[in-house]
Amino acid sequence: MKNIFSILSIVLVILFGATSCDKNKQKATGELEIAFEHVWGMDETAFSLNTDYVHPMNSEALNFSTFKYYVSNIILTKEDGTLWKDSNSYYLIDLSKPSSLNLALSHVPVGTYKSMTYTLGVDSLRNVSGAQTGALSTANGMFWNWNSGYIMLKAEGTSPASSSGSFAYHLGGFSGQYNIVTTKTVNFDTEKLMINNDHACEIHMKASPSYLLCNDAVANGANVMMPGARAKSLALDFYSSVVFEHLHN
Amino acid sequence: MGLLYQSELDQIWSRLFVAAPFFAWLFISSCTKENVSDFQAQVPVYFPKPNYTKHVQDFTKGRFELGKQLFFDPLLSTDHSTSCASCHSQTHGFADHNVRFSSGIYGRKGVRNTPSIANMIWYPAFGWDGGVNHLEIFHLGPLTNELEMGTDMNGVLNRLNHNQNYRNLFKTHYGVEQISDYELFKVLTLYISQIQSFQSKYDQYRQGKVNFSLEEQKGYALFKSHCASCHSEPLFSNFSYQNNGLDSVFADSGRGKITKEITDYGKFRVPSLRNVSLTYPYMHDGRFWNLNEVLEHYSNGIVENSQNLSPDLKKGMNLSAAQKQQLIAFLNTLTDYKLLSDKRFY
Repeated sequence: MKNIFSILSIVLVILFGATSCDKNKQKATGELEIAFEHVWGMDETAFSLNTDYVHPMNSEALNFSTFKYYVSNIILTKEDGTLWKDSNSYYLIDLSKPSSLNLALSHVPVGTYKSMTYTLGVDSLRNVSGAQTGALSTANGMFWNWNSGYIMLKAEGTSPASSSGSFAYHLGGFSGQYNIVTTKTVNFDTEKLMINNDHACEIHMKASPSYLLCNDAVANGANVMMPGARAKSLALDFYSSVVFEHLHN
Repeated sequence: MGLLYQSELDQIWSRLFVAAPFFAWLFISSCTKENVSDFQAQVPVYFPKPNYTKHVQDFTKGRFELGKQLFFDPLLSTDHSTSCASCHSQTHGFADHNVRFSSGIYGRKGVRNTPSIANMIWYPAFGWDGGVNHLEIFHLGPLTNELEMGTDMNGVLNRLNHNQNYRNLFKTHYGVEQISDYELFKVLTLYISQIQSFQSKYDQYRQGKVNFSLEEQKGYALFKSHCASCHSEPLFSNFSYQNNGLDSVFADSGRGKITKEITDYGKFRVPSLRNVSLTYPYMHDGRFWNLNEVLEHYSNGIVENSQNLSPDLKKGMNLSAAQKQQLIAFLNTLTDYKLLSDKRFY
């Protein structure tokens, strides 16, 4: 018995080793960095936390202390239609942590890509699957402890428009009519993304926290703490501001 | 090219022959791995398949002991006052010590009665309102609730990572240098997955090992006709959410707080009745101090104009005093003395 199984395990190891060798030989990979830039208002001035702003639509004075949101499930599509999926694709963009604004993707197969698909929020499966790691760890303070699910966008700060002086928008919802998980696709028009094994390519994205309140105001209610109609409209308004800027090959 | 390939292959072969005893050992040791069935009693055949099985597969005695140490450790609460075991006591069927609302950090009182945490691997959702969707995530509630253990996950992980004993234990049993919520939730889940109640007199009866007294038999018959549609055997809950007619105005919106559906206000999860005679007081707010009061409520106390009242309860049960005693005699057979004295948990 012992011998049979040790021989079997040897055969398995050889098979496994041989296939992984092939992979290394055939599939050259490169790196991609996706950089998120944040701007404010019509004139798109650089946005930062703990800074006084006046909202361009509702004229409320606002100062954000927290702005965090999830980007996930990044998929690149080659010109021939083949897909590459980022294997551990959950990123928490936290404006208080500059390093979190640049998503570093490695082991991207070398090739020319025509589009990128990404999700704003956390897909339903990860909301219902128990303990998670990395960006999805509950230590990031982005999971509700009483009504399971990720806080996919957290914006907090101060405003005289709030009776308490502060506001907190904790936005989530992964199923049913108040699902805020939003998938977007960027089509690279003239300049395609050309992943190579020489240097990292860069994709530049832009997002505007002012859009969170472009159809709403702190005066309408300074707190949202669970999924619902208002959470959905606030989140989707911000998500609409997330756009592709340009890329560097 | 062919030559090179041949020499590479030879090299692999020679290395593998050196490694062969290791693989053989790996195989044999996986056979002799600690088996959870040596550690716990066999679940009766009339139990359904549990919703959580992975924590049984991942079982090792070392992990169980680590989970137990954490379960009893007030280090996990902000003021070092409260552990999981503070409110989930083995002697009380893993509910609290017969208090209406549990005390958490700084003596703060909770707002709902602490339920038992036995048999949770069979639960579809957690908490009185079912707001928590996974057993591993369940721990986040008591750990971070400001009335319970009142910490935040960073704080608790910081404490664990500054404790050399826990660092060593997590390294040994989970292979990690740095403890994260992932391992903490896994090991606590592994521990509470073992808290299973299926060795009561009722279970002995189901297995043909003992007889019921006449009073217990009559109580069982009454139970089947009056209670079992919601408190379904063998877990004694169908895990639905029901308004059992306590109030006309809801101080606690219950399931409605989670779903915001108008039809869910005032509903709470049907609680399991296993070990029920030990887990008084009863109801989500612990308003009834004994089973007599509970049966009196179902008999004559249903608030008929209560919104979303369970249709089965609209007509009171009109139980006689003798029938109540019979029902209580049956409910007493659900006490699992084997679990209460199981040395694995203390």
